[in-house]
Amino acid sequence: MLSKNYDVILDTLPENERRLEILFRQAGDGFLQVEYGREQRAFLLDSFRMLTVNNTILGKKSQGLIETVPGLRTNLFHFDPEKISVRELIKKIKEVELSVADVNDIELDSRLISLPIAFEDSETKKSVEKYVKEVRPGAPNVINGYNLEYIALCNGVSVDEVKKMVLGTEWYNSGGGFWPGGGFFWPMDPRCAIVVPKYNPPRTWTPEGTVGIGGPCIFTYTTPTGGGYQLFGRTIPVFQFKQKHPLFKNSPFLYKPADRIKFHEVSEEEILYIYKHVHEETDYVYEIRDGKISVREWLKFFNSDEVQKGIKELKKKQEEGTRKAPRL
Amino acid sequence: MLRVINSGIETLVEDWPGRLGYLGKGMATAGAMDNVALRFANLLVGNPPGEAGLEVAGGYFEAEFGVDAVISVTGTDMKPAINNEAVPMWESIKISKGDILKLSHFGEFSFRAYIGVAGGIDVPFYLGSKSTCLFGSYGGFEGRKLQRGDVLPFGRSSKELDSLAGRKLKKEVIPEYAREWHLRAIPGTNTSPDYVTEEGMDYLFTHAFKILHTSNRSAYRLEEIKDVNFFARKDGGDGGSHPSNIVDHAYAMPGALNICGNTPVLLVLDGPTLGGYMCALSVIKTDLWKIGQGIPGKDFAKFIPSTQEEAVEATQKQGALFCEESLE
Repeated sequence: MLSKNYDVILDTLPENERRLEILFRQAGDGFLQVEYGREQRAFLLDSFRMLTVNNTILGKKSQGLIETVPGLRTNLFHFDPEKISVRELIKKIKEVELSVADVNDIELDSRLISLPIAFEDSETKKSVEKYVKEVRPGAPNVINGYNLEYIALCNGVSVDEVKKMVLGTEWYNSGGGFWPGGGFFWPMDPRCAIVVPKYNPPRTWTPEGTVGIGGPCIFTYTTPTGGGYQLFGRTIPVFQFKQKHPLFKNSPFLYKPADRIKFHEVSEEEILYIYKHVHEETDYVYEIRDGKISVREWLKFFNSDEVQKGIKELKKKQEEGTRKAPRL
Repeated sequence: MLRVINSGIETLVEDWPGRLGYLGKGMATAGAMDNVALRFANLLVGNPPGEAGLEVAGGYFEAEFGVDAVISVTGTDMKPAINNEAVPMWESIKISKGDILKLSHFGEFSFRAYIGVAGGIDVPFYLGSKSTCLFGSYGGFEGRKLQRGDVLPFGRSSKELDSLAGRKLKKEVIPEYAREWHLRAIPGTNTSPDYVTEEGMDYLFTHAFKILHTSNRSAYRLEEIKDVNFFARKDGGDGGSHPSNIVDHAYAMPGALNICGNTPVLLVLDGPTLGGYMCALSVIKTDLWKIGQGIPGKDFAKFIPSTQEEAVEATQKQGALFCEESLE
């Protein structure tokens, strides 16, 4: 006989004017998922709150908690059920959730990392060439040997405008996962929210440092691998397996959740020079600044007439672009 | 040390429980696909149960020993032989310098064999584990499967080799292998009523799913869901157009069952730690070893409803097996 108990919401915190409903979902033995709201929405506000709560919980060093894995609107708690029961864990998370002030008052620690980018560099161009040759000849997302024109087409803007959007905002990391050392980066300025479909089928090779976009997220490839994101160009190493460079001494990873990256355009030569000085000479100095995200200020910015108008204008262009761009 | 003569289909250095605490950095735990067989292999040769051994998938591994050693072979019956003479499984065996160990292919039941060596396989720890993550090409022996000519050093044995020879596992603790593997599983995170219909959940918990031949250490792909009204929603909101889509969330890895379109995919040791598909259930830790013995293209997996309480009890009961009392 089946137990018929498919209700996996173990507990909730009801919605109030300061936050969404919070759901505690069963996720096997040793995992618990905390979810914000029931709607599948992609809104940075949820992540700001979640990472604030997350930092507080990790700071407490709870017995039996192995790690947390934040997504944009969910956080997965990995724990040892022999050391802490799921009920005790929920109680601890609830305490912190209830202690977090109004989301407006949140000031989230967030580093700002400056990353150089060379658009349409020859190394990432090779991977597009390989794709057309070996995987999908005549792929409609490859125009003049690269993806930039297709990205522009999908969003109803020019290539120049695409570059301006990549360079014109800070990109916020909602958390890592999927690939070693990676992060998922969302635009802080919604007027730069480029959206594209992913490769179909995926590439078999992408060079280290490739900057691409899939759906609404930018990803910087940490190691050579396959992949499905549309390509902008190449940045510098953000991960180092061998941990030779001082920045990677204690951990091979650069990115932390809530980090922001900001791109500035450089030549391909400069990118190659930096690779040498990260991986071989190990004397490149990364530009990383401590900072904070003030939710109140971000919301004020987000809700301003100018930004709201810009969002509407971009959405309109994107609707048109989506109609015109070939499907993958 | 041993020198690889024939690497076989896929032979890897794996330990258990693998690399814990890096899911948010995009790193799955890796580790032995059948941790029960590995832990028994270690018990037999006097190692701590989680020590690194060799995982032989499919078969045809052959190696020459460069030193005297004590080894054990557990898991599927690949007809192990030393210098072409059959040797028993689930026992410790004294090896002399120059001996050649040879395995044939996997048996009628189950797919992976494990070789334990007194002192363990001495590869460097990477982020706390000696396991190979094949999907990400790191850890273990140079981040890859073994090749002809590879030389693997052994660690120092905890006891005199002579005192470790002839240890035998009691018959009643040797795991039973099957064609249809019964995996106890806990519903969640995405079930009925909001994501999947009750009918759909019933289907998951009653159907015997064929394991597809494309299964590997990242994912065990199961036959498509058919002839059932499975999804309780029309689309995935901001997560995507298909009802199996969701805004990217972390996966309860290993053991979560992803629903990718209409294909259920059991995420195993090297699998993705985050992504945009819903998860309907999680196999309990105690039973996860069984899927590691499932023969791709031949065996079946069936999910049996379980609870968190049952899972914790099962973990404790199973953990107690890896001690001297299990030996004859």
